Amino acid sequence: MSNKYKILVVEDETNIRNFIKTILETNGYQVLCANNGSSGKTMFLSHCPNLVVLDLGLPDMDGVELIKAVREEFSTPIIILSARTNESDKVKALDCGANDYVTKPFGTNEFLARVRATLRSIRQEEGERQIGKTFSVNDMMIDYERRSILLAGEEIKLTQTEYNIVELLSIHAGRVLTYSEIIKKIWGYADSGSIKKLQVNMANIRKKFHEKPGENKYIKNELGVGYSFKDEDR
Amino acid sequence: MNKNRRPIYNILFTVITLVVFFGISLWISEVLEVRSLIHAMFALAVFLISLYTNGYIYGIVASLLSVMALNYAFIFPYFKFNFSIPENLVSAIIMLIITIMSSTLTTKIRQQDMFRAEGEKEKMRANLLRAVSHDLRTPLTTIYGSSSAIVEKYDALSKEQIIQLADGIREDSQWLVGMVENLLTVTRIDNVKMKIVKSPVVLEELIDSVLIRFRKCYPNQEIEINIPDDFVMIPMDATLIEQVVVNILENAVQHAVGMTRLILKVYIFDNKAFFEIIDDGCGIDKERLDNIFTGYFEKKDAPADCHKSSMGIGLSVCASIIRAHEGSIMVENNPQGGCCFRFFLNLEDEGNEQ
Repeated sequence: MSNKYKILVVEDETNIRNFIKTILETNGYQVLCANNGSSGKTMFLSHCPNLVVLDLGLPDMDGVELIKAVREEFSTPIIILSARTNESDKVKALDCGANDYVTKPFGTNEFLARVRATLRSIRQEEGERQIGKTFSVNDMMIDYERRSILLAGEEIKLTQTEYNIVELLSIHAGRVLTYSEIIKKIWGYADSGSIKKLQVNMANIRKKFHEKPGENKYIKNELGVGYSFKDEDR
Repeated sequence: MNKNRRPIYNILFTVITLVVFFGISLWISEVLEVRSLIHAMFALAVFLISLYTNGYIYGIVASLLSVMALNYAFIFPYFKFNFSIPENLVSAIIMLIITIMSSTLTTKIRQQDMFRAEGEKEKMRANLLRAVSHDLRTPLTTIYGSSSAIVEKYDALSKEQIIQLADGIREDSQWLVGMVENLLTVTRIDNVKMKIVKSPVVLEELIDSVLIRFRKCYPNQEIEINIPDDFVMIPMDATLIEQVVVNILENAVQHAVGMTRLILKVYIFDNKAFFEIIDDGCGIDKERLDNIFTGYFEKKDAPADCHKSSMGIGLSVCASIIRAHEGSIMVENNPQGGCCFRFFLNLEDEGNEQ
């Protein structure tokens, strides 16, 4: 199937913009480019792209402002480009509604995988996957109706909280959820010990899923930012 | 010394010194009855105060108080003020001169110390800059040369040649990425006087993150992982410690000739987390062992084309990161061959662990 997804790239560096445009076009995507925030906004409104790739450091406005502006009316997925050391920027952008981030510098494969995963997760969120159905990745199957998880055909025993976390992450598979986002949805409130509570639960989940460091098959940890459930090719 | 505590310290020092010297003087004049020593005693007190406090104000106050004390307790009529004697005026002037001169002297010495420290830092920065600029030129030559060859001679090149050139570009830019990460780290630590912000990090998540980053560059290098089964949290700046582990692993891949095993081991001992990176390669020369963590900054005339050697900056960066974490790093050759890098980080108090 040839994909006709329209992708808007908002990036002020000409070379990076060209490189992203080239790899997206050679993979069959339609690409629109903007070199600053305000023209990005205009193009977004006039072309309604399926996905936005956004650099956080724009000359005329903070990328986070653009995310907020888009999120006021649209749920179009946004992938941000950011430098490795700025965890706080990433967290801020994700909390404002960005779906995923790619750390600069990045390679072609990594970038395309993120684009594919983000587009797929949106497609699934929109209809195919709802509570009451099932979700599967690799050799794992989650049955939302029976609240059970099968790993290679064997049922995994999770506590209520652990199951809730896995369910939340799997519903948003392919998307990075920040610590505070998960905590808010699972416990409803946050205090100083919340992150640790979440990390302890995650450690138990990892153990029950037999995850090995560096080879996580199901849940990916984004150090200092949050967690994401793996989609098929991530 | 903390800035807020400085004035309190100064006042305390001034008061205590004056009281102590006043007491000694009283004892001398009452018990030994040697009044001629008293002036010298107060001169000494004023000198000490000017020496160990900041600025002129404490010394001047102290010298005025000393003149009053002299007048009151040690000059006839005893325990009564009498300002009509010219002797008083002279001793007051002498005290003030002592104060001002010694305060000026101390301030000058302090300034010189600061200049020297600043100069030392400047020298280190200049050395680093020189070495780095030198090291950046080599990969940039590849990148510039190869890419312009592709752009300008596109038709004359075979597909294989283009791929070969592009591969060189990719490899050298990956090396540049590592270099730049390290330089950014250096500025991140130096800017705030080696102060870093620690937050609790789950060991397993750190190792996970390290391995993912490492495998991006070295997909074929196997690493044996040996970490505790328990849930371990270590307070640290995760980005920096990740950098340390990746640097040491990278160092092993690039320099441990003949390596067949690479082991990353973490264990808890004495409320500290010990990280060990062990390889069975060629080990490290004895002369290099001593300055392996500082070598980069001192390297002056390395051969012009050995740019891979400059990964040495990675180890210098490791050392400053671990120092900033109040930990310690060392390296030794294993008796059975290869070498072992070891560093430790302090754990939070055990009560916090689950």
